[in-house]
Parts: sequence; structure tokens; C-alpha cells
Amino acid sequence: MKGVKKRYLIGGVILLLVVGYLFYLSFGSSVSYYVTVSEFFARGTELYNTNVRVAGRIADSPVDWDAEDLELRFSITEGGDNMTVIYQGAKPSGFKAGSSILVEGKYHSDGMFRASQLIMKCPSKYELEE
Amino acid sequence: MIETGHIALIIALPVALFSAIALIVGIRVSSKRLVAGARFSVFTVSVLYTLSLAIILYAFVAKDFSIRIVAEHASRDLSAVYTLSALYADKAGSMFFWGWLISLFTTMLALQKGDYYQKIMPYALAIMAIVEIFFIALVTVVVNIFEKLPSLPPDGWGLNPLLQNFGMLVHPPLLYLGFAGFMVVFALVMASLITRCQATEWSSGVRGWAVFAWCVLGLGNLLGMWWSYNELGWGGYWAWDPVENAGLMPWLLGTAFLHSIVMLRQRNYLQTWSLVLIIFTFALTLFSPFITHGGIESPLHGFYGSPFPPYILAVILITLVGSLWLLSRRRHAFEKGVKPESLISRESSFLLTNIILVVLAFIVLAGTVLPQIIKALGGTHIALERSFFDRTCGPLLLVLVFLMGVCPLLGWSKSAWPSIKRNLLYTFLATVVMAIGILISGVGNWYATAAIICGLPLLTICVEWYRGTRARHRTGKENYLRAFFSLLNSNRARYGGFLAHIGIILIALGIIASSFYNMEKTATLDIGDSLNIGDYRLTYNELVLKQDNVKVSAVASVSVSRKGHTVGVMRPSYDYWFSHQDHFAEVAVRTTAAEDLFTSLVWTGYDPEDKTATFRVLVNPLIVWMWVGGGFLLLGGVVAFTSREKRLSGEKR
Repeated sequence: MKGVKKRYLIGGVILLLVVGYLFYLSFGSSVSYYVTVSEFFARGTELYNTNVRVAGRIADSPVDWDAEDLELRFSITEGGDNMTVIYQGAKPSGFKAGSSILVEGKYHSDGMFRASQLIMKCPSKYELEE
Repeated sequence: MIETGHIALIIALPVALFSAIALIVGIRVSSKRLVAGARFSVFTVSVLYTLSLAIILYAFVAKDFSIRIVAEHASRDLSAVYTLSALYADKAGSMFFWGWLISLFTTMLALQKGDYYQKIMPYALAIMAIVEIFFIALVTVVVNIFEKLPSLPPDGWGLNPLLQNFGMLVHPPLLYLGFAGFMVVFALVMASLITRCQATEWSSGVRGWAVFAWCVLGLGNLLGMWWSYNELGWGGYWAWDPVENAGLMPWLLGTAFLHSIVMLRQRNYLQTWSLVLIIFTFALTLFSPFITHGGIESPLHGFYGSPFPPYILAVILITLVGSLWLLSRRRHAFEKGVKPESLISRESSFLLTNIILVVLAFIVLAGTVLPQIIKALGGTHIALERSFFDRTCGPLLLVLVFLMGVCPLLGWSKSAWPSIKRNLLYTFLATVVMAIGILISGVGNWYATAAIICGLPLLTICVEWYRGTRARHRTGKENYLRAFFSLLNSNRARYGGFLAHIGIILIALGIIASSFYNMEKTATLDIGDSLNIGDYRLTYNELVLKQDNVKVSAVASVSVSRKGHTVGVMRPSYDYWFSHQDHFAEVAVRTTAAEDLFTSLVWTGYDPEDKTATFRVLVNPLIVWMWVGGGFLLLGGVVAFTSREKRLSGEKR
């Protein structure tokens, strides 16, 4: 009986260690900063070339869609700051001037944000904004 | 007319309050009349609630836009079926619908027969009634579901086109059914704890409800994935978004509970553990609306501006504190269970399954709430990417599937090595041979891994079935088919479980294949252009523009050939909806047993002269097996649910 308990304990500790290690490993590499456009620029060049999520609204400026090269170019704005975003792919549903959007990707030193993913922060998925 | 519904709901509130108080007082002073009166008022609540629901649905069907909820989610041109489903597209409407299911289940519970139920009934009903009061208060006091608009709009806003899909018709009600089912299990278990029912007794009493809730919640989650795949146009089905995790977490813990009560019934083992599991399962079913109503920020979707989260959080905390306190008071009186003698036994593998499920639920919970907690504590605002969940949950899920293959081969209490070797060796060798074959054929390494991990449990189940059937065939002189069905019938709980396992294995197979082997391509084509992906060649033939009073549709016709043979025409479309002033893609999917060809039209200029269009095309291998797996899950649930085992309470006589 005692032996079984001990073995359980050892097994449990090993399991915990493995899970803890997995957790630690994944957490570190999967974490990215979540900032608004103005917060991004307030940090200077600190967040350049790192994976970030930037929240803002789609600006009124014209949206460029190059169907040949599948390149979408638009601006997002928040807190008085603007950021030009380039995305390889078509407009998602809900993409309109004024909509809240999350862009995921890297800001390059050429002044362009290259997004790997666009997430429409669309509260109206279920309901209309009041 | 509409007012009647409102009044019915308002009356239901004090009636529910009366039933809760009468039950508690009736038990205290042991007044049978008071308890009977409370039972009657439980029925009254569900009658009033049903009347109220019928009237609000009538308002939807009649398109009465003077009612706010109708105006916000329905419109004149909305089809009848989706007009009804528009109810749970609303934040209050969804809680209202869920509350109705709870009132229905409370009545069903009050009608249950048997010694066990009679003993614990007043307590279980009191718990249900208290929860019911909370739900009714949400839609009458906190917000008024019958709220009228100040002026009558000419038409409603209409239902979001993304929600006009079969998946969204059934996904929310299935989730709520599962949640309400787990609430019944929780109420029964807590009542058993109060009345000092022994675990062997209640574990049989709650089993049916637990199987029901688990099966329905599992299907609800799967249909949510099906909807995401077929409607959202991104070609995936799971993004680890908080609102998705919200439905997954209670299911994971519910699965653990379902397995731990097997231990309870067979060995009276894992009592406290099972109790803790059901308490947290119930808490997580409430945490789910907390998330979808905006308690946790979700980038994808949810109910906007809902006032409910603080109230829900309060109820979760009260539930946790109250039930854990009760548990700590009662646990000293528990009967001693039978502990397993060996590490290699069925008990141990059940225990390991349980631990992994709990760890999985914990990881998902941590990943969902940690970024929010860090932010709330004044830390940096961070986001967790999908890869976090994939990397942590993926390996654990594989271990879980693998265990399904080992567990049935182990004996209770103690397994002798020779019997394990005999049972496991051939199936294991067979899977290894299969995996090597796949590796040599060059399909890919991940397929080989998948074959070992998914193949072993699949083979084990088949071998178990074959052995049982053969034994019956030999002793009972039944033919093989008869023998197989009478085997299933002999222990429906066990074989229903096996069927559900097949379902999970198939789902795992679909997930592994579609995660590691999918191909994706986006291209802009002109009429006559082609694109190649995998074995497929897609040719863009025509674009037809259609307009009705709801939307403008651009329907592309794309002919598809595979390895040079024409296999058909696909028609994805790109629709502009006037009501939402927005574009929505309707995908076209060609499904075969081996793979799905998924096409989505993501852009076109609606120009009759220039029909250039952008297509997103994916090849998703084996994905159809996920949905087939869902069928097995349902089948297994039904077989296990109809298990006619002897009720322990009935045996006493």
C-alpha cells in the first residue's frame, strides 16, 4: 500500500513538472504585447520588429486593395496617432472606416506594420452597437 | 397580448421565491404540506415561464418591432426558422432561453420516481429554485426582456447573416441544454451531500443526467466548430478564443466527472474528487456566459454591453464558497473506498485520465483569464497566441486518446503482466506495422504518429468487441450479428462509452490531419484562369450577379478537376447585405472521405465588365471524420443513457 502511494506521488510530481515545463515553454514564446496605436508609439522604437497586437480604428483614409498582389493597405488610428498597415489578403467582414480592429504582426523600421492577421473587434457579431 | 408574457414572467419570480422558501422551511419543520405546495409552485413556475416564452416567440413570428429584442434581431425578410433563433442572438434572450430550460428540468426533476430521488428531492428542488430565481431576475429586474421601444421602427435591424446558418440554429440551444443538465447534476449531488447520501447511491442516481448533459454539451461544441468552418470562411474551426474556451472548459471537467463516477460506482473510490469536479463543472457552466457577455475581453465575438457579468460572477463565487464549505463539513463521514492495489490497473488509468482532463481544463482556463488578470493587476497588457494552447493542450490530448486504448485492457485493482502482454501486444504490434507502412508510403510522419496514437485505441475497442461477440456466439449459439447487439445490450454503459471513445478518436484524427496537413492558397483570377492546389485544379468559369431585396450576390462558378478528371462545379459566393452594409462570403465545400476542398470567394468588384475575383482555397485532409465522430459521440451517449442498470436505491427493498 505504502509503495503504491509513493509511486503515485512520484508519478504526480513528474506529471506536474512536465505540464509546468510545457506551460512555461509555450507561455514565453506565445506571449505578445497588446497595445493601442498611441501606446505603441509612446514606447519609441522598443516594440519595432517584435510580434505585437495593436488595437485601433480603421481610418477614413482610402483603403488600397491590390487584387493582383493580394495586398491590402490601410491606416489605423487611435489617440491621435496613425499607423499604416499592410496585410496579405482580402478585407474581412466588418471592415469599414471607423470599425475597431486588432492587427497582429510586426512594425518594420520602414514605417509599415506588416500584419499576419486582422481581427475585427466587432461587437456587432451578435448584436448591434448601441 | 405581449403584456401577458411580461406579467407571467413577473409572477413567476415570487412563485419561484415561494417554492425555494417553502422547500427550505418545509424541510426544517418537516411539513409535508409545505413541501407539496412548493412542488406545486415549481410546476407553476415552468407553466408561467413557458407561457412567457411562447408569447415572446409569438412576438418574433409576428415581427412586432415595438418590442426592443424583436426589432434588434429580426426583420421583415428574415425566414421563419431564423426568426425563432433570433431570440438567443440577444444577450437577455439567451439567458431567458437558458432559464426556461432550467425551469423545465426542475419540473422533470420533481417528477422523478424512486427512493433515492424521494429522499433528496426537496433539497435538489430548493437549489434549482434558487438558481431559477437568479435567471428570472436577470431578465426582469436587471434588464426587461419585454422592453418596448419609444417609437415603432418601420423594420427590424435583422439577424447577422453569419448567424443565419444551421450550425448557429442548434449550437446555442445544445450548449444551454448541456449547461442546464449539469445544473441538475450539481443540484442532485449537493442535495445528496446535505442528506448524507452515500456515494454509491447518488452516483447511480445522477448518472443519466450527467451522460445527457455531457453528450449534448459535446455535440454543441462540435456544432459550433462546424459552424465556424462552414460559415466564417477562414477554413478553420477552432481559434482558442475565450468564447470558444467557455464552452470547452465545462465539457472537459464534465468528462472527468463522468469517468470519476464510474470509479465511485464500482469501487467507491474518488469521492471527494468527484464532488469537487461537479462543483467546478457547474461553476464553469456559469463562467461561460460570464465570458460571452464580456466579462473576459474576446477579440472575436460576444454580446456587446451586457450588464450581466458582475451578477454572474457573484453567483459563481457564492456557489463555490457554499458548496466547498458543505463538502468540507461532510467529507469525514464518507465511507471508505477501495483503493487500487497496483499502479497498473484500470483504476489508475481512470485516475490518470481524470488528472489529464483537469490539467487540460486548468490550462485552458489559465490561458483564457491570465492576460486579463495581469492587466487588471496593473501589469502590461499581453495577448496569448493560439500556439500557446496548441503546444500545451495538443500533447495532452494525444496522451488522452492513447489512454483510451490501454485502459480497457487493464483489469480492476491489479493487472498481471502476462495478461497485459497478451492483451496489448498484438494490437500494439498491429498499430506499429500500420504506422511503419504509412511512414514508408511517404504520406508523412505526422500521419504515422496519428496512426499509432489513434489506431491503438481503435483496434483495442474492435478487439474487445470481437472477443465479447465471439464468446457470446460460442456459448449462446447466437449468430455474430445478434451476439454483437446482445453484447452491447448487456452493458450499455460500458459499450456506450466505447462508442463515444470511437467518436473522440475520429475527432482527434480529423484535428491532427487538418492541423498538420492542410494546404492553403489565395489567388486573384480572371474568367478562364486556373489555380492548382494539391491534386486539384480549379478553373474560374463564370460570375453571376444576383440581387434581391436582402443582398447582392456574386456567385462564382468554379469547375474542379482532380488528377485530370473533372469532379464537379463549386459555387462560392460573395454577398453584400443591405441591412448590415457589409460583405459576407458563403463558402463552398466539396467533401470526400479523404479530404475537403474548401473554396471561399473573398473579393470581387461586382462589376459585370470586370469579373476579376479573389479566391481562398484550402485542402483539409480527413476533416469529415470530425463530424462523423460527432455522430458516434451522439450514438454512444444514447446507448449509455438508456442503460437499464439496477438502481441501487431499488435494490434495498
